[in-house]
Amino acid sequence: MRIFDKLFVYVFLFMAVFTFVSCGSEEEKSEDPVPDLEVVLIKDLAAPNDVIDRETGQVVEERPFVYFNLAKGEVVSEDETWDIAIKGLAIRVNGGTSGEGDAAAAVVSGIFEELMEVPAGTEFAQDNAPNLAIPMGSGNGWYSYNPQSHIVSPIAGRIILVRTHEGKFTKLEILSYYKGAPAEPDAFRDQSATYTFRYVHQPNGSERF
Amino acid sequence: MRVIFYLLILTFCLSSTYAQDLVHKDSIREGATLANIVVTATRNEKQIEVLPVPITVVSREQIEASGLLRLNELLAEQTGLAVTEDHGSGVQIQGLSPDYTLILIDGEPLIGRTAGTLELSRIALADVERIEILKGPSSSLYGSEALAGVINIITKKPKQGWKTTLSGRYGTNQTSDFTADGSYANEKLSVYALLNRYQTGGFDFNPERFGQTVAPFHNYTARFKVAYQLSSRTELDFSSRIFYENQNPSFGIGSEADLLKIVGDGRVQDYNHKLDLRHRFSDSFKSQLRLYHSAYSTNNELREFESGSMYDANFFNQNFLRIESLNEYYHSDAHILTFGGGVVREAVEATRYNDVTPFLSQYLFAQHEWEISPRMNSIIGARFDTHSEYNSQLSPKLALRYELAPWLNLRASVAAGFKAPDFRQLYLNFDNAVVGYAVLGAAELAEGLQRLESQGQIAQMLFPAEQIGNLRAERSWAYNIGAVFTPHQKFSFSINAFHNEVRDLIETQPIAQKQNGQFVFSYLNLNSVFTQGAELESHYTPLKGLRISAGYQYLIAKDRDVIAAIENGEVFKRDSETLRTRRVRADEYGGLFNRSRHSGNLKIFYCESKTGIESSLRAVWRGRYGFGDLNANQILDNDNEYVPGFVTLHAAIAKTFKQKYRLQMGCDNFLNQTNSRLIPTMPGRLWYAALRLQFEGN
Repeated sequence: MRIFDKLFVYVFLFMAVFTFVSCGSEEEKSEDPVPDLEVVLIKDLAAPNDVIDRETGQVVEERPFVYFNLAKGEVVSEDETWDIAIKGLAIRVNGGTSGEGDAAAAVVSGIFEELMEVPAGTEFAQDNAPNLAIPMGSGNGWYSYNPQSHIVSPIAGRIILVRTHEGKFTKLEILSYYKGAPAEPDAFRDQSATYTFRYVHQPNGSERF
Repeated sequence: MRVIFYLLILTFCLSSTYAQDLVHKDSIREGATLANIVVTATRNEKQIEVLPVPITVVSREQIEASGLLRLNELLAEQTGLAVTEDHGSGVQIQGLSPDYTLILIDGEPLIGRTAGTLELSRIALADVERIEILKGPSSSLYGSEALAGVINIITKKPKQGWKTTLSGRYGTNQTSDFTADGSYANEKLSVYALLNRYQTGGFDFNPERFGQTVAPFHNYTARFKVAYQLSSRTELDFSSRIFYENQNPSFGIGSEADLLKIVGDGRVQDYNHKLDLRHRFSDSFKSQLRLYHSAYSTNNELREFESGSMYDANFFNQNFLRIESLNEYYHSDAHILTFGGGVVREAVEATRYNDVTPFLSQYLFAQHEWEISPRMNSIIGARFDTHSEYNSQLSPKLALRYELAPWLNLRASVAAGFKAPDFRQLYLNFDNAVVGYAVLGAAELAEGLQRLESQGQIAQMLFPAEQIGNLRAERSWAYNIGAVFTPHQKFSFSINAFHNEVRDLIETQPIAQKQNGQFVFSYLNLNSVFTQGAELESHYTPLKGLRISAGYQYLIAKDRDVIAAIENGEVFKRDSETLRTRRVRADEYGGLFNRSRHSGNLKIFYCESKTGIESSLRAVWRGRYGFGDLNANQILDNDNEYVPGFVTLHAAIAKTFKQKYRLQMGCDNFLNQTNSRLIPTMPGRLWYAALRLQFEGN
C-alpha cells in the first residue's frame, strides 16, 4: 500500500506542476499583443449650460458647446475635427443631426478596467435631435439627477463607447460633474457642468482596449 | 346591489332555520375584563389571549397618561411601528409602507390618501376609547389595503347618566388644543357629541431663508353619535364625524440669490356618516346592516409671494359609499361562523384626472372560528372581492393557537393580502407642458399613446404593448409565528416572527420615449419585495398602578429584483475619493429605504387612583435607516445614505383634584433630538400644560 501511496503523491505532484506550468503558458499566449493603452484623465473641463429663465423656460443667454477630439485628447474648435461636444448635461457626437462627421456612441454597463472590448451586439447610434446617442434624462444615459439635493451624479458602471469620426473606438467614463470632483458635492456651492472623465482611445481601429 | 339582496335573503333563511333553541356561551370567557377585549381580528368580541394572531391594544388610560393628542404621536411609540413622512405622516407595519395599512374608525375605513399615505394627524384622540393594532394581512375580512395590518380606532361609549368635559392645552410652537364633549345615556338611548380644535404655529429650522420648515395649521373635528335600543333585540346606531383643516405653507424655490417665494393656502375636509342596524334574531344568531358614506377633499393654492400670481392650484375630491351585511352565527360552544358581504362605490374627481368612471366592487366573506379542544382554537376564513376595474381577488387566512401550558401559548397564521390599484395609478392624465413629459394611468394609457402616436410624438416604445395597460392588484402572502409566556401574573413576554412576501408592486416606469426626448410614464406591476423579522414585547407590573413595558423589533426588508441584480454583478458604486467604480457586494445592500433594522421602546406608566396621579415616561428608539440614494445606483448601499439612529424621550405627569379637575404637564422630545437636514418634520423639545374639567351626574 505504501508504494501506491508514494506513487499517488508523485502523480499528484506531477499533475499539479504540469497544470501550473500549462496554465502559465496559456496565460502568456493569451496576453494581448497590443501595447498597453494609455488611460487619459481629463480634469475640470467646464462646459456651462445656457442661462435659462426658470419661470418661463426660455433661454436668456446661449452658451457654446465645448468640442473635444479624443485622439488628440484636447478641446478643439467647432471647425476642427471633433468627436464629442459637451454643454450642461448634453453630450453630442459628431454625427447625425449634431455634426457632419460619422461619429457614433453607445452607453453600456460594466466596469471601466474590465471592459476589454466593445461588447458583441452593441448598437452605436448617431444623434437624432432631440434624441441623442448618449441619452438625456435622469437615469437614461450617463447621469442621475436627485430632485431633493439637485445633485447630478454620473451613474457608476455606465461606460460611454464612442466610435470616433475616424472610425476608431474609445471607452469613456465620466467621474464627476462638479469642479474639483468633490466627494460630496453641493449643488449650490460647487461649480457644475465641470467634467472630470477618463478614457482609453484605441488608435489602431480594433474593438479591443 | 344584487349581492346585498341575496345576502339578506340568506341571513333570514339561516336565522329562521337555526335560530330556535341553540344556546351559545359567549366567546368571551369568564374573568375577561373590558381591557382585553378586541374586535378587529375577527369582527366580533374576543379576548385578546385566545386570538391566534398578533394584536396590540392601546388603552384610553395610556393615551391620557401620555398626553397624546393625534394618532401619529401614538403610533410612533408602539413596538414594530414606525411613522414615516412621505406626503404626510403614515405608519409602517412589519416594514411595509403606509399604503398597505387600513385605518378604521369603529370598523369603517377612513379614506383620503395622498400618494398612498393617509395623514395620521387628521385623527384626534380626544374621543378614542382604545386603539387596536392588528399586524399581518387581514384582507380575508377587510379586503384591499389590509395587507400589512389594520388599525381600528374604537371611540368612547357613553356611560349611564350625563357627563361633560372641557379641556384646554397650550404648548411650545403656539400649539393649542381645545376639546368640549358631552354624553348622555339611559337604558334605551345614548348620545355623544364632541368638538375639538387643534392648532400649531409650526416651526422653522432655517429662519434666514424665506418660508417655514413646517407650516402653521389649525383644524376642527366634530363628532356626533346616537344609539337607540328599538327593542330588546334591535339597536340602531348613527354616528358622524366632520374634519376640517386649513394650512398656510410658505417656502422658497431655488438658490438664495434668485429665490422664488411661494405662499399657499391648503384646505382638507373629510366627513363620514354611519348608520348601523343590529338585530339579534336569537341567542345564536346576530345580524348587522351597515351603511357608510365618506367624502374627502383637498384644495390647494400656491401663489408667488411678491406678485400674487398663481403658481399652482389643484383639488381632489373622493367619495366612498358602502352597504354591508355582517352576521354571526354561534353553532355551538365550539363553532362561530361570521359571514357577510357588501357593495362599494367609489368616485374621484381631481385636477389632472379626466372623467373617471366610479369604481364598483362587491365582496363576500366568511370566517369560521373553531375551538378544536379547550387548548386549541383556529380561525379559517376567506374573502372574495370583485371589482369593475381590475381582476377579482380571493384572500384566504388560516390561524391557529395552541396552549402548550397554562403559561405558554403558541400561535401561527398564514394569510393572503392585497391592495387594489388606486385612482391615480389607473386614471392620472398629466401632461407636463413645460418639461414635455406625460404620466398616464394604466386605464388611460392605450388611448393616450394612440393620440400621441397619431400626432407623431412617439419616438419609440420601451415596453412591448402586451405588457402594459393591464394593472393587477398588489398581492402578498404572510406568515406569522409566535409565543406568549406568562410565567407570573405580573410578568408577560411575547415574541412574534413574521415574513411578508409581496409581489406585483405597482411602480412608475417610462413606457415610451417621445420625439422631444422626454418620456411617457405609466404604472406597471414590477418588483417583488419581502420583509421579515421578529418582534419582542414584555410587560411587568411590579406594583399596583406601576406598569413597565419594553419592545423591540428586528427587521429586514429587501427588494428581490435588487438582490438578483447584485448577484448578477449589475449594480455598481463609485468610491467618492478615488473615483474608481466597483460592483456592489451583497452584504452592502441595506434593503428598502426608510426601514430601521433595529427599533424599540421602553415605557413606564404609573397611575394611582387614590392620589389621582398619572404619569408616564416613554423612550422611543429608532435605529438607523436609509433616506435616499446618494451615489446614483438607486439602492441603499453607502453609509452616508443612512439617517443615524436616535432616541426620543417623552414624559407627562397629571393630577386629578376632587375627581373634577385634572392638571397635566408634559414634555415631548425632552432630549431635544432634531435633524433639520434629514428629518425636517421632527420638532425639537415641546413643553405643554393642560387643564381639564369634568362634570357628571345621573
